[in-house]
Amino acid sequence: MRARLHPLTALTGAACTAVVTTAAASWVFSVAVTLAVAVLAARAGVARQVLPAAAVILAPLCVSLLVLHGLFFPEGQTALASWGPARVTAEGLRFALELATRTAACVLALLLFSFTVSVPDLVSALAERKLPPQFVFVLASTLALLPAIAGRLVRIRQAQEARGLVLRGGLLSRLGAVRLQMVPLVLGLIEDAGSRAQALDARGFGGGAPRTSYREVPDPPAQRWFRAAALLAAAGAVVIRLALSWPPGVQP
Amino acid sequence: MTGPALRARIGSFTFHGDTVPVLRDIELAPAAGTLTAVLGGSGSGKTTLGKLLGGWLQAGPGGSLSGGLELGPTRLLFRGGPDDPRINPAAWSGRVAYVPQDAATMLSTVRSTVAEELAFGLENRGVPREDMRREVARTAALTGLTALLDRDPATLSGGELRRLALGCAVITGPEVLVLDEPLASLDSGGAVLIQDLVRELLGAGTAVVLLSQTADGLARAASHWIVLDRGVATAGGPPEELEGSSELEQAGVVLPDRPGAGEGTGRAVRRSGSGTPGAPVLELHSLAYGYGHARKPSAVPREQVLRDLELAVHAGEIVAVTGANGAGKSTLLRHVNGLLRPGAGEVRVCGRNIAGSPTGLVAASVGLLFQHPREQLFERTVLREVSFGLRGLFGTDAADRAQAALAAVGLSGFADAHPGELPSSAQRLLALATVLAREPAVLALDEPTVGLDRHGLELLRRAVEATAERGAAVVMVTHDLGYARATAHRVLELSGGRLREA
Repeated sequence: MRARLHPLTALTGAACTAVVTTAAASWVFSVAVTLAVAVLAARAGVARQVLPAAAVILAPLCVSLLVLHGLFFPEGQTALASWGPARVTAEGLRFALELATRTAACVLALLLFSFTVSVPDLVSALAERKLPPQFVFVLASTLALLPAIAGRLVRIRQAQEARGLVLRGGLLSRLGAVRLQMVPLVLGLIEDAGSRAQALDARGFGGGAPRTSYREVPDPPAQRWFRAAALLAAAGAVVIRLALSWPPGVQP
Repeated sequence: MTGPALRARIGSFTFHGDTVPVLRDIELAPAAGTLTAVLGGSGSGKTTLGKLLGGWLQAGPGGSLSGGLELGPTRLLFRGGPDDPRINPAAWSGRVAYVPQDAATMLSTVRSTVAEELAFGLENRGVPREDMRREVARTAALTGLTALLDRDPATLSGGELRRLALGCAVITGPEVLVLDEPLASLDSGGAVLIQDLVRELLGAGTAVVLLSQTADGLARAASHWIVLDRGVATAGGPPEELEGSSELEQAGVVLPDRPGAGEGTGRAVRRSGSGTPGAPVLELHSLAYGYGHARKPSAVPREQVLRDLELAVHAGEIVAVTGANGAGKSTLLRHVNGLLRPGAGEVRVCGRNIAGSPTGLVAASVGLLFQHPREQLFERTVLREVSFGLRGLFGTDAADRAQAALAAVGLSGFADAHPGELPSSAQRLLALATVLAREPAVLALDEPTVGLDRHGLELLRRAVEATAERGAAVVMVTHDLGYARATAHRVLELSGGRLREA
């Protein structure tokens, strides 16, 4: 892993993929992008994290799209079945498919980015671009929050188990345990934040002085060119989309 | 000798919302290149004093201060009113740096390597990258972190973390360095490293203020002692004068070399111990453990921490396990209640193999005091904390048991307090109370003496004795060999993954 992607290159890539896919508005294209991203995730070794996370986000979304547009699509002509006011129309299904595949492509691209990006690289790349340090810190803490919460939950659970909390596999038991762990989790995070704030202040954070960055994130020219090209492609895709869908007879 | 690097006069300091000041009548004037020790027991206000000196706690937003701070030409006078000067923590702490007892608090948590964490304070002050590189290398050499510069701070050991926190504080070149219990929970090797570091800083002209509840070797090297008792400086002077003074005794300061000072008296429960062993209450047979077992049982463990380990502890017996930091003492103890499961071998409690029993069930027979009490405490009040899970064990008796356990550790008056707001020694005693309340057959204690003052050590000694007397097996791990010898019937050393007589 010598030649790493600059975090902004990865971010641009993911964002432009999302924009182009949305602009293309073709389920075939969306499916192709989804598959390509899945392959990339597998090659980056993060498929096991990206795919389940994507499933958690997309499954409820797809179901709701299907119910909403599959059953109730006012413009639908070709009814395949109907129950009272609800009609399954071919157009509705097609629209749901379009939206679902497009969303899947975008979600997967952004998830791939968030699971592969090196948070420290991203933070220092943003800091170098003179973003407010508070914003960069909040972003970095947010990205680091999930592992921190997971670690803290394990500790709380161990403390409770060591005092007789028996965790069984059942759903009710698990929900009960979650309830027991949420209050200490939130209170602990708040307490942590308080003492952390004192330490950050004392270390000069938020002092308002111009900052420098210790970490160097190489940004080769090729990647800068790629970013520019990707942004142009995305802008081009949006323009073409607008031009194509402009109502006929009206000159833009 | 030059004049004082810092002169602090604290008439009183009161937290907002409190009526009683936490600090009163304290004067401190550490000179460049000298070591000043502020000694006091649990709750004496040492940490509040340290945070106030180091700009972590600011007069005004943090509480009401009447007194004065002088740092070089800067003179600040506080009257406790709205017109008081405000300290800029960033500028102030570059000159007076405070290192908290819990070193992890010092870290930014958003830096991925030791080098970047060290540089954080410099980045915030806009130091050019080349200068940062040089300062990071210099500080790393000073704190013995050179080999660890690329490590993730989250993977450091306790001693390494303490040195990193120290490095983060000294990298800006402060004139005054305030160290809060810098030796707590370090083994002798780790303590020596810190002591050497302090010596170097003193040599370089830094004024060092030590906050400690133990008159240990580092404190003895100080030229001036201040005794702090419930927020008031009750005595001050050279160590020779104050050693053996009633003020020191009163304040609950631990005096390591003095027999009978609470750190185990040699008269522990030897009478009821190893003479007539019945069946062992706790047995570890051929225990082996390596990190990496849990996730991939088939994989070769990266690091074998315990191997072929044998241990049997009988009813009424107290066994102490010593060993260097990182020898696997805590890992061993976590096997006793099933928080960790062995890669090979078995753990038997009261004759039953605990394999397959969830930790929550094993907890009925085994009480484990965690190494870091804050990780053991999760409730909103002290009383709720100690009552957690008792109803299932004792039914309607639970409330009485909880009160009795709090009384045993001297915390009855704090039932409604938030555990997080207690001083760290009281947190340890509270964690001990939560374990004692369950009356386990096996009491497992992980570094129980750390952070306890003389009164706390006395309470601990009584609790351990009483537990052994009622027929429980006690196994404790500690880096404190003196305490182990004074308290336990048997002292074992964990080294190379095995136990042997020390």
